[in-house]
Amino acid sequence: MTIPTLRLTNVAKTFATGGGSVRALEPISLDIRQGEFISVIGPSGCGKSTLMNIVGGLIDDYEGEVQVDGVPVRGCHKSIGMVFQEESTFPWRTALDNVAFPMEALGVEREERLSRARDLLKLVGLDGFEQRFPSELSGGMRQRIAIARTLAFQPRILLMDEPFAALDEQTRLLLGDKVLQIQQELNQTTMLITHNIAEAVQLSDRVLIMSFRPGRIKRVLEIDLPRPRSSKMMGGERFGHYVAAIWEDLREEASKGLQEMERLRAGG
Amino acid sequence: MSDAAIVSRRSFWRPPPLLARLGVLAGLLALWEAASYAGLVNAFIAPPPSAIFASFEMLFVQEGLINAFVRTFAEALAAASIGSVIGISAGYALHRYKMAGLAYTDWVAAMASAPLVLLYPLFLVIFGRNSATIVAMGVVGCLPPIILKAKEGLDGVRSVLLNVGRAYGLSRWAMFSMIQFPAALPTIFSGVRIGLLFAIINVVGVEYLIVFGGLGQMISDLGDRFEIPGMYAGILFVVLVSICFFFITEKIEKWLLSSK
Amino acid sequence: MAAVEQIGRAGRAAPRPFWTVGRLRVAALVVIFALWEIAGASGLFYRGVLPSSYLVVWALLGLLTSMDFWFHAGVTGLEVLVAFVLGCSAGALAGLMLGANRYVGAVLEPFLHYLAPTPKIVFLPILLILFGVGMGSKIALGAISSFFPMALGVAAGVRQVNPVLLRVGRTFSLSRFQMVRMIYLPALVPSLATGLRIGLGISIVGCLMSEIKLSRMGLGFSAMEYYRVFDIPSMLAVLIFIFFCAALGNVAIDKFVRLPGPQDRQKRKWSGFTRRFT
Repeated sequence: MTIPTLRLTNVAKTFATGGGSVRALEPISLDIRQGEFISVIGPSGCGKSTLMNIVGGLIDDYEGEVQVDGVPVRGCHKSIGMVFQEESTFPWRTALDNVAFPMEALGVEREERLSRARDLLKLVGLDGFEQRFPSELSGGMRQRIAIARTLAFQPRILLMDEPFAALDEQTRLLLGDKVLQIQQELNQTTMLITHNIAEAVQLSDRVLIMSFRPGRIKRVLEIDLPRPRSSKMMGGERFGHYVAAIWEDLREEASKGLQEMERLRAGG
Repeated sequence: MSDAAIVSRRSFWRPPPLLARLGVLAGLLALWEAASYAGLVNAFIAPPPSAIFASFEMLFVQEGLINAFVRTFAEALAAASIGSVIGISAGYALHRYKMAGLAYTDWVAAMASAPLVLLYPLFLVIFGRNSATIVAMGVVGCLPPIILKAKEGLDGVRSVLLNVGRAYGLSRWAMFSMIQFPAALPTIFSGVRIGLLFAIINVVGVEYLIVFGGLGQMISDLGDRFEIPGMYAGILFVVLVSICFFFITEKIEKWLLSSK
Repeated sequence: MAAVEQIGRAGRAAPRPFWTVGRLRVAALVVIFALWEIAGASGLFYRGVLPSSYLVVWALLGLLTSMDFWFHAGVTGLEVLVAFVLGCSAGALAGLMLGANRYVGAVLEPFLHYLAPTPKIVFLPILLILFGVGMGSKIALGAISSFFPMALGVAAGVRQVNPVLLRVGRTFSLSRFQMVRMIYLPALVPSLATGLRIGLGISIVGCLMSEIKLSRMGLGFSAMEYYRVFDIPSMLAVLIFIFFCAALGNVAIDKFVRLPGPQDRQKRKWSGFTRRFT
């Protein structure tokens, strides 16, 4: 039996706040195989960002264990790469220098890192824009730079925390296609956090549906759509079935979240 | 981040920042006092805090500290008032006439960091050696921030509010007094506040340089007469008053911002 | 087809306004100049108080060719340079320390925050006692004055570094040193530039004011001497020279202390240059 690329064992998290403590995550265990694309979907406040931050290493005090290729890790590790939702490109570096950033930090030789950066920019479809600064590029292009930069680190696992949330719908669909293409070409193990159901179905092999706080995995759905995928199959019947199935589970959790928010706003 | 939040983050105990500040201050004063008595610090150049506080009485009685204070701040307030009227009008003009705004805003910004205090000999020859010169210097000093902030505030009024005014067919003055000015008030006030502080700085500065006027003159005289503890006391007084003004106007500004 | 062409032509027909930025600026300068000349010649003010520009320009030329003037300019220039360097580097260091450590910042920064708007000129008597009448006291006042805005600006800059960028650094497991060199420092450049610009202006004011009060050398001293003998054109010429140098200093800081960006790519074509002034 092959060792899973990513294994979470009873990962849980409690936050200490001013008024007491909040149980953000109930013990979560899951395995992700090499080359798999997993989406984690859940209502706002379910703890999916917490889960992401734990796996990515930005939170390092939690219960349970995270293993990469069988080796336990805690805290930021070079085998795990993260792409954030917000603008994260360095405004003072060109696209090329942004992508070369992690290699520069590792001490890779200038010629080599620039050539690899060029290859990665080509992979995300930004060849020709190497010398542009992020301020000259659109939001979608900046996210592509961020993705290319994270890939430059050659992570075993790519984590993406709602990377397309700040983009408009059409850009999101096109970028989704792009990400799929890259993922397939590199056989990159990927974990995506999203609240967009169609996106989850379009991109993933498996969808993990999370419950409202405290977060736990409510259901795991296998997406059995043929690969290679694209946004073209979005109108299809099977696609619609998957979306409906996920919404069925999510609706309950999402309305709990809405009630909680209204309660807080009214009484808290 | 609030002081309390900082405290709760730490795993070992640290005094809350306010107490720590008072502690640092008390510690420095104690150190100075001790060094003075031990002869480590020349008591003439840097008299011990006790001597400085003792000379406050002398300042009140002999030097007319209160009068000097009133005079200085009257001049500063006059300067800030005149400056506000001129500045807000100019800021409005720069806002209303877009081209003028594009053309002159940079110049005003440059004036803000220019050594304007050097103009005082010019005012001296124009107005003569009296309060008008000092107030004029105060006005010149406080104009740039007031103009810039007034323009910024008016530019920032949300267009939906302006549309409401237009829908009611308001006259230009009504638009300004009923919509634009109230909406821009927090920013305008922050400009007036900075202007007031600049006015104080310029007024005290010119009073000190030409030895004419309130607190600036007082400090200069005390220095000339080598009344060192009194001089330090005077300086301390100016610093304290300035801090008070800054603090009070800061609170007002925060209140204005929060009530928006 | 014809309809589309018509629309295109109409779209291009928007007239260029007469009062462009360049023309407005020139007009303002002309008006100021005219008002000055009229006021000077009007007899409203004491004779010689507002001298004709011709006299000022003549005086300026006289100064620029005088060894004496350049000596004084050199003295002031040196004072400003040393005060600026001392005040701004101390300020930058203090700002870094205050911004980097939350607790230290919370305790000490309010001292700076509340001392910053006080008139530093009041400290001059103490400095005169400590450093004497020479350049030392002038430098000290200039340095103390420029310390505050620099420290506060840098501290704010450190705190305002975009937290996402710091998270990116952490995900790449950057060392402390790398975080500072590759993320904090470039992110701080705008705050540093602003602090330096303000610091330069304040150093100049501080040095000049202390020269005016008590000095035997320097441009502030020169200006006062001309005032004493009522040589107003020369006094104004000195002031104009000082303002010009201050503006030059600001432009220099702007040019050299900035982040790489798309502006590097814009070539200054000659036509672009002249377009600014018409």
